[in-house]
This record gives sequence, structure tokens and C-alpha cells, in this order.
Amino acid sequence: MSFSTGITGIQNMAPELPVQASEDLLSTPMFNLIHSFGVDLHHAESYIGKTTRMSRFERLSTDGGQLDGSGIDPASEVPVRTDIDATMEIYAKSIVTNEQLVLWENSKTLTKFTALLGQWLREKEDLLMRDLFSSSVSYLNATGGLNGDQPSNISLNDVNNIENILLGNDARSMLTNLEATLKFATGGVRDAFIALANTNLSSDLQKVQGVLLKSAYPTQEGIRPEEYCSISRFRFFVSSKAAKTPGISLKGNTIYTIPMYGLEAAAKIEQNNYTAVIGYRPPWVVSSVAQNSQLYAKFAIARAITNQNWISGLNVTTFMPS
Amino acid sequence: MPFTIVSQGTQIQPATAINLIVPLPSGCDYFKTYNLTQLATTQSTGRNVMGEWFGGGLTAVNDGIDYFKSNSSSNAMNVSTFAQQSVNGFTYVNSFPAPQAALTGTTITQATNAVASVTNTYSNGDQVVIYNAVGMQQISGMTFTISSVSGSGFTLLGLNSSGFATAATSFMVRRVALYTPVEPSYLYVTGISQATQGVVTVSQQHNYQVGQAVEFTIPGSFGMVQLNNYYLPQNKPPIITAVTAYTFTINVNTSGFTAFAFPASASSPTAQLFATVAPAGQQATYNPITGIQTGYNFQYVPFRTGIFVPYMMVSAGAQSPGGSAGDTIVWQAYKMETGTINSPVPS
Repeated sequence: MSFSTGITGIQNMAPELPVQASEDLLSTPMFNLIHSFGVDLHHAESYIGKTTRMSRFERLSTDGGQLDGSGIDPASEVPVRTDIDATMEIYAKSIVTNEQLVLWENSKTLTKFTALLGQWLREKEDLLMRDLFSSSVSYLNATGGLNGDQPSNISLNDVNNIENILLGNDARSMLTNLEATLKFATGGVRDAFIALANTNLSSDLQKVQGVLLKSAYPTQEGIRPEEYCSISRFRFFVSSKAAKTPGISLKGNTIYTIPMYGLEAAAKIEQNNYTAVIGYRPPWVVSSVAQNSQLYAKFAIARAITNQNWISGLNVTTFMPS
Repeated sequence: MPFTIVSQGTQIQPATAINLIVPLPSGCDYFKTYNLTQLATTQSTGRNVMGEWFGGGLTAVNDGIDYFKSNSSSNAMNVSTFAQQSVNGFTYVNSFPAPQAALTGTTITQATNAVASVTNTYSNGDQVVIYNAVGMQQISGMTFTISSVSGSGFTLLGLNSSGFATAATSFMVRRVALYTPVEPSYLYVTGISQATQGVVTVSQQHNYQVGQAVEFTIPGSFGMVQLNNYYLPQNKPPIITAVTAYTFTINVNTSGFTAFAFPASASSPTAQLFATVAPAGQQATYNPITGIQTGYNFQYVPFRTGIFVPYMMVSAGAQSPGGSAGDTIVWQAYKMETGTINSPVPS
């Protein structure tokens, strides 16, 4: 193609470089990490096996015990110890990188890949804790919603039912109260248990009677970004990766599982010196011609429900099929 | 070196052949099985002797290449796909499996061991979720272990439906993973006897052990709420004293408790329709007379991963790659050093 205007433009002198990278990379998507929040953290020593035992003495009976003055001793009681065991497991991921990528890629790949592995490490840990909640805890079906499904969508009655169970089992709330302040459209938040929900439930949570959205809390100080709302004695945290099982409700819709718990209901056990290991294997180790290097991340984790009486929850569907 | 065997092994099928679950830590691009037992025999009916599976999406779920004998006079080899022969093949699972496609069933009987009628390709020991059981909604959403499986139905040994008001006249069913992501898992309770030591029946074959502690969640709609922790003296978790495949005995005298009974189907969806039991640790004891010690079961009681992912499920069956009872199956898993099998990178 030729031009006869005499003007020098990009038609006859295109940019030397057709593209430039913007000043920074775009964000890597990351889901809300909510499933380790509120669980107890324990540590396992090395060289003494891979099973960690957490023990609890059950309380003594309050029946009888009165002395009648006859000199006859009351019956003694044998205390009961309940042992909760958890098996340590190791997870790892690696990225093998060719030297040509490191040499020519604009965005400092080894640094970025290290960050990716770090993110994987925390995301994987979160999903492992989610799986513990979804597999090993008893849940009740929500029945108070009006969508006609089994389980139904979430309702205040369902939430209160779980509160009754937890209180009946002497569970302790996890979060302290937020005192009311003189701000319009805000309200105090009671001391609360924790509830973990899928983000697909957010519109249903907004409709539950008595819901207090996070923006209506009397203070935003110290409130986690994952928190969504408060209903009754529960504060709800949401994640797009929270537990769900597609297609098995009465109407064939997705069932969402909402763990709801108080103090010392579950535990995460970290292996000492193995909590988060990120390493680099240089090219002369990985490749015979020193062209490939390797980044890796690994961690050890054990998980357990430490008190089934202090954790419960709901199976729910959404008001609109999802 | 384009291909490497990353894992191989053999498995002799037990008296009732089972689907083989082969863990594959580094994934898999190509998988192969041989049935050594059937290779050494002459066959008159279709018997698989070798199976192949290709990664990269080249082989469909529950399929693969089926090498089978079918002619007794010449012992001839035939080649087809498992799907074409209408038998189960290979299923590569690289993330925790979601429920499989739904099947529509016709009836679930009122019987001591309920029988479900549905055209299926399931296997003995599979786990299924039954839902929308019309006339029997009290079991909708529950997971069951199935047995006596035929192409037209299966038996639910964990469900005594003889006391239900009606049979189910239609239902939906999906096969789900054999194990939950974490074991031991919660279970659905389908019966509890009134006895000096209550006997609990669950809907699935369980791995609960003697000495294990459990906690019940029994809604009021089922009656026996006294087993809920907050009704029990001292709130101590019940302890298992004996087990069978679908039942376990607890150290709680339930004889004076309200009878356990399913709510009516018509209660759906407004009544609680699940009674459940969840693992709560174990108690260490030693009986010097019997020499029996409990509370140190480190294989089944600790919380741990239920199923290793990724894995290859090798289906059992006469013309399936997992073979039949007594068959010796050799399996090999291959991995490409670079690239994947449908987009190889020269190396």
C-alpha cells in the first residue's frame, strides 16, 4: 500500500514495538479463605508419628453426691477421656520453568510463580478444611423456606434451630458483641457463632428476617472482608468455594452446606517446620543442560472435628434454582 | 523418552469383584490393563483380556478400548470400545467426583431390605443418592450403599422400609463417590432399636469401629431424641461396642427411649427428614480378662483424607477391564515426559 500525501505517519512508519506491558500485572483471582477461620490451631512435633491425638475429659455427673452423715462415702466416679485423632498429610505443587521463559518473559516469572505457589498453598489448605466440614459433620435440612424444595431455602427459624442445638450442647460463641452506636441505620451485633456459606446464597441471606448486613454493623473496624451479614446469633462468612453438591435436592437443585460452630469445634494441626515450605531447585539440579528450574510449595496438615456438639449446620437450597 | 511407566501393579479380584481404585499421584496420560486369568483361558462368551485408556479427553468417561475373547473355536480376539459393548470401562478422576448423571427409577419396595427398580450400570458396593422418591420422600436426599445390583435394580440393605405407608412410585438416583473427601464421615441413621444396648442401622456400609465415639442428631420428627447429646447423662458421647456392615451397637440403654421411626412421606419438605450420626473420636480402654484393647485404631478412626485424587477407576465385570471374581488384573499407568497425549511436545 502506498500513500501520496507526503505526511509521515504510522502507515509508513509503524511503532518499533507493537505492544507494551502495562505498569503492573492484573490481579490473580483468589477466593475468600474462610474455612480455617475460627478453628483451633495445634502443632505436631517431628519424629513421633503422623497421628496427633487431642484429648478431652468429659465432665463429671452432677447426680447424687449428698452426704447423709452415716459415714458412708458416695460412689466414686470413673472419669471419661475422649480422644480425637487426626492423621498428618502432606500436599505439594511444583512449577518447572525453562530458562528461555525466565530470560524473555517481561514479568519476572520466578517471583510471580513463587507468589502463585504461595496462593495455592493457602487456597488448598482452605479447601481441605472445607472438606472436613462437609464430610464429617451432621447437618439439618432447612425446612422454613418457601421454595418448596427439600431442603428449603434458608429462614430465620432454621438459623434459630441451630442456635438451640449449639446452646443446648453448651457451645461457646466465637465472636464478641459489637456494641450499638449512635449511627443511623446500624444496630448492635450480639456475641456470635460462625457460619460459612457459599456466595450463591448471598441473595437469600439478604432476605432472612432480621438480617443485619455488614454495612449496618456499628463499626467496620476489624471486620473481615469475607464477612457478609449477621443473622440471629450467627455471623456469616462467604466464599465462592464453600461446600455445595449439585443436583440432589428433591427438585434436583444444588444443595449448599453451611457449617455453623462455636469455640473449639474443629482443629487444624500443623507440622512443626512444615507449615509452608516454598523452595527453588536451580537449573543445574533439575536439568542435565541446566535449562529447567523448579519452584515448589508443600505443607503438612491434619484436621479434625474436635467436638461434634459444638458444631452443626444447615443444608439449604436457593430460593431461585441454582 | 516420551513415555514413562509411573505406576504399575496387580490385583486379584475377591469373591465379589469390585471396581478397582488405582491412585495416580502424578496423573496419567495412558493406562492399560491385562486380565492374566482370562488371557490363559479359552472363552465362548465376551471376556475382556486387555483394556486401554487415553488421556487428554480422547477417551470418554467410563469407556476405553475393549480387547475381548468371544469365539471358543479359535479363541479369536475382538476389539471394540467398552461403550459400544454396553459395559463399564475406565473412569479417570482428577478432582473429587461430583454426583453422576441422574437416572429415573420406577419403584422402591416396602420391605425389610428395600429394592429399587431402575435401569442402571452400577456395581455392588457403589454409593448412590436417592432423591424425589414419590411416596417415600422420607429417604429423599439420603446416600445408600447398593447391593445385589442387576441391570434393572439394586437392594438397599441399609433401609428397612417395611413400616413405610407406601412404596415409592418413582425416584431419581445419582451415583456418588465411594468415600467422602474426609473420613470418617457422618452417616444417615435408618433405624435404632430399643434395647439395653441400642443397635443403630445406617444407610451405608460404614467403617465405624469398636471403641469409637459418636454423636447423634435425631430431629423430633424421628422420635428418639433422647440420644441427642444434651439429653444424655453427663453429655458423654456414646461408644460403639460391636459392628456389622450396616449396623453398630452403642453403650446406651435405649429401651426406655421413644421409638425411632421415620416421619411420613407427606411431611416433606417441612419436617426434618434426616437422622444422622457423626464421628466423635474414641475412648481408650483395656480389658485384662479378654485382653482386648480399644482406642488405638489409627487406620480408621483418625480424621483423614477419604479418597486419594487423582485416581483411575477400573470397572469390574466379565467384559470390563477390572475382570470378575478371582481374576488377576495387571495395570500400568504411563505419563508423557512433556506435553500431553493429544498435544505432544518433541523431547
